[in-house]
Amino acid sequence: MKNIDVWGLLLTGAGLVSAESLPAHHSFVQFDQSTELIMSGEVVRWAFNAPHSWLYLDVEDNDGDVTLWSFEGSGPVSLLRRSINGNTFEPGDRLTFMYCPIRDGRPAGHLGWVRLEDGTYIDPSDGGCAGDEETIERWKGWLEQGFASNRDAMAAESH
Amino acid sequence: MNSRAIIATFGCCWLTVYSVTLAQELLVVPPPMEFETSTEHYAYLLEQADGGTQHTMETIPQWSGLWETDGNNNNDIFLEEYTDERIGSTVRGSVRSGVLTLPYEEAFRERRRQAEETGQQYYDRLTHCEPPGYPRHLREPYVREFINLPHQSWQLNDLGNENRRIYIGQEHVNVYATHSWLGDTIGFWEGDKLITHTVDLLPTDYFRSQPLTSNQFESVEVWELKTLENGEERLEVQVTFYDELSLVKPINAVYRFKPSTELMEIGARIRHFECETSSNSYLSEDGRTQFHLPGDPEYKDARGYTMFPELPGQSRDPIYNTQLPE
Repeated sequence: MKNIDVWGLLLTGAGLVSAESLPAHHSFVQFDQSTELIMSGEVVRWAFNAPHSWLYLDVEDNDGDVTLWSFEGSGPVSLLRRSINGNTFEPGDRLTFMYCPIRDGRPAGHLGWVRLEDGTYIDPSDGGCAGDEETIERWKGWLEQGFASNRDAMAAESH
Repeated sequence: MNSRAIIATFGCCWLTVYSVTLAQELLVVPPPMEFETSTEHYAYLLEQADGGTQHTMETIPQWSGLWETDGNNNNDIFLEEYTDERIGSTVRGSVRSGVLTLPYEEAFRERRRQAEETGQQYYDRLTHCEPPGYPRHLREPYVREFINLPHQSWQLNDLGNENRRIYIGQEHVNVYATHSWLGDTIGFWEGDKLITHTVDLLPTDYFRSQPLTSNQFESVEVWELKTLENGEERLEVQVTFYDELSLVKPINAVYRFKPSTELMEIGARIRHFECETSSNSYLSEDGRTQFHLPGDPEYKDARGYTMFPELPGQSRDPIYNTQLPE
């Protein structure tokens, strides 16, 4: 895994959103953007390919069963502006990340933010899930409280 | 576009809109008079320029480097009472009546209804690897290059590998007897301004969640490099869109591009774009966007093997050599 400038990532990511509505070559209706979940896994492949990047990870459940999960991210050019490139994730890296699940329940989703092994947060998201600085800051607080779901966190906050 | 829209009307037939951006005013400059057709419009401008400026390699304006989109007035044209508040990745707003013809306005209202429901229209034609085409070519983000030569200008968009050629000082030709994604574009220079005329376009759209266009869509553009008060450069294009099937009357638009400083600083280069071997999104039976995943028979492995896996060196992931489980 490469060292990257987290402040540069956050600043350029914020600028991207205001410059143009989020680019992509498809609609994001199949991702449940109202649900944000936390997951950890080991990178199998980081496919830094147009039109969209995909991050594939092996994720172990509580029973020890390992499943390959697939997560979509933004397109390579958009990610390059955020200092994310084809070497940012390497096979074997262990990552914790937030995602918005695909609506049909398959092991897939759209990436929000990713926390690297050195603790920095980056935003590889596109229009299917929020990974911006505001979302990261909100989640840092929720993670400290042990939440793994935005719905659980918001429910706790409302009480 | 992070902007405040001020609506104004010039004359009886031109929808003219001012957009004020926080960074720099993005202003629509309407044509000097009304024209029935794009052909009349272009011919008038060519006559006013006395046939245009014949540049040489030494005098041709250079718009070198990488560029990216920096605003447009699409929402001002097609929406009213819109704000920066978003539904998903679409701005909130209602359809402006009287801009589009009834069937096209109905189609746009359906796109907006879908956006109100889910944040975006259900499905985008780019999903099955259609190129953006024109006029969407003007708005799609990612990376642009503008190459001006005395006899041609090339406008390159990395998305879909769109290469738009503007034939300077020439007439339209259509030896294919059909229309195409970027149409046929001719142009001339008036000093440092590039004036173009585009015809023979396939039906496309302005953008996702924006209106559709017909196969009668045509345009006249005026391109000019401008320098902002802070010294930054912007490439601006004033456009008049003509389409008797989709537009009640011609509309004036403005699009702007800025140097893609971040990409140039890291040495990014445009790579060949294709999505036939790399895209797993598709139109599902319910009319929405769906995805094939690893293990699905239809899944396309962008970093898998070619059709000749028995030969050495046929992986499309030669650096990391990863494989996904079957």
